[in-house]
Amino acid sequence: MKRLLLPVLLLAGCGGGAQQDLPSIGEARSLAAEWAMINDLAARGRINATYAHAMRAQLREQLKSAAATLSQPDSRYGEEIQTLLTEPDEAPPEELRTHSEKLKQIEDSLESA
Amino acid sequence: MNPLELTLGIMTSVGGFVDISELVFAARAGSTFAFALIWVFVLGTIGIIVFGEMSGRVAATAKQPVFNLMRHRLGLKLGLVTLAASLISNLITCAAEIGGVSLVLNYLVGWPYMLNAVLMVIAMIATIWVLPFKWIERIYGLLGLFMIVFAAALVAMHPPWGKIAGGLVPQIPPGLSTKELLTFAYFAVAILSAVLFPYEVYFYSSGGIEEEWGRKDLLTNRLTCIVGFGLGSLLAISILANSAIQFGPANVDPAIPGTAALQAAIPFGKWGLILALLGMFFAVAGAAVETCLSNAYCVSQFFGWAWGRHKKPWEAPRFTIAWITMFVLALAIILTGVDPMQLVEFAVLFSILVLPLTYLPLLLLAGDKSYMREQVNGPIAKSLGWLFFAIITVAAVAALPLFFLTSGGQA
Amino acid sequence: MKPEGRIKLVSQLLDLPLLDSEGRFCGVVDDLEFTGAAGKPLLLKALLVGPGAYKGRMPAWAMWLVRVLAGDRITRVPLARITSIGSVVHLDCPARELGLDKSERAAERIIPHGGAL
Repeated sequence: MKRLLLPVLLLAGCGGGAQQDLPSIGEARSLAAEWAMINDLAARGRINATYAHAMRAQLREQLKSAAATLSQPDSRYGEEIQTLLTEPDEAPPEELRTHSEKLKQIEDSLESA
Repeated sequence: MNPLELTLGIMTSVGGFVDISELVFAARAGSTFAFALIWVFVLGTIGIIVFGEMSGRVAATAKQPVFNLMRHRLGLKLGLVTLAASLISNLITCAAEIGGVSLVLNYLVGWPYMLNAVLMVIAMIATIWVLPFKWIERIYGLLGLFMIVFAAALVAMHPPWGKIAGGLVPQIPPGLSTKELLTFAYFAVAILSAVLFPYEVYFYSSGGIEEEWGRKDLLTNRLTCIVGFGLGSLLAISILANSAIQFGPANVDPAIPGTAALQAAIPFGKWGLILALLGMFFAVAGAAVETCLSNAYCVSQFFGWAWGRHKKPWEAPRFTIAWITMFVLALAIILTGVDPMQLVEFAVLFSILVLPLTYLPLLLLAGDKSYMREQVNGPIAKSLGWLFFAIITVAAVAALPLFFLTSGGQA
Repeated sequence: MKPEGRIKLVSQLLDLPLLDSEGRFCGVVDDLEFTGAAGKPLLLKALLVGPGAYKGRMPAWAMWLVRVLAGDRITRVPLARITSIGSVVHLDCPARELGLDKSERAAERIIPHGGAL
């Protein structure tokens, strides 16, 4: 029983940490989706370059802030956000949506936990 | 009643209805809860119509703006508490609006955010200095009508009108978890706060004195409030509905104000985007001007200084120093680097806490025969006034716990 | 109402704005001055205007803050200078004759004159 206690406590700590990070995960998920939307519209000529540039810069700043507030930066979602940050400004929308969907899955599983 | 003046007054109210807080919360409410919070916008709009009409009626009948009479009604100590609370609330709101308009200018022309904040404050000080009151109000209000592009975008998206109409019915969506329920409640409180911001009635009643309203303007006052605020709220509801259709299914919870402009870009392309950004620019800049002037009105009226932009700036020097100081203080808040979206949250939170202090004196004044004579609150105004006072008091009590429990609506 | 009539001091006079003969706001009725003594009629003598007049109406710590921010000046407005009392107190002379415009004049010196439509 005692052998189980430490992993259980660690998991409980992890669960607590992950729960604490839920708002940041949700924020990163949304930012990735917004980024995808902007790149999609830019590729189709529906928005101008000035707006797209300003929005990408702001989205990236917000993502960095979200990543900085994580209590578990080495977790699966932490790594996903770091990978997202390495994407170029004009990354393909599908790539960005994939990141968003992965973060959504993590978000949903944590919420149902 | 001059039809042209009335039309311009209504259009000014429409264009000036949406500010940065309504923009942000309408977009987030739509993406998170689809159409389920439309009824809260309607509820808040009815509230601001009731209190706006009362404040205009007080100005036209007693020939005094609300804050002038408020100190007399509440006395010095409670009056000072109300003044302090209003000043802080309006200052935070002004800073949030300046932050918002600086962001929009960044989206429009690409200039840096902090530089935009300084430039916008200089531009707004120049506007208020040079222009008489009516032109200040009209320019920002009428140019804010670019926001109509959001309503046009909604129509172009061929929305589910039945579901939108369904959102008018007071409801709590079924099947929400406890966290989601709390977040829903937080959004409801935030929307009420954003629609019923204190600065609106102080600015509106002082504006009535600036424009020398009398008994002949009572109908203008009523129509401006009902039609102007009513139509204005449709713009906010359009943003919510667009967000429900375009952002919700794409997993977007708009974190930055610029995302809202995509609502017009999706159906209309670049021109839609530009019109949306221009609408946001003038609407939010107008709100910054109103919050700043509102604070100057409050201070000047409380201490009995000469006030008003119907006078030249040097004819009401302490009032002039007051509004310039407000802009400088709001700019100083922005230059600390605080996130403008955090300022929006604080503005909404602080405002809901002071709303009961704002509207109770107004209710008492408008119901006092010694000031209002035959224009005293009738049974409908009295009932609605006290009903909304009860609603905002409940919202004020619930605001802080909901903010912390939901991490500011992020839960 | 005329100042000779009956008046409720708190609900009808205290904290009312003052309007001079030129239609300019020039302060608020911050306190009241009486004459009289024990066993004799208490008569309203003057209105007191200025931050110093808050003294009897605020706690000591708040009065300290008022003094730091705004000073403790008091200006007396004799009852004889009041023409009527309604939602404002109307005076029969310009504010400068009673010294009610000192702060406004001081502020005016630092405001540029010009550029306004």
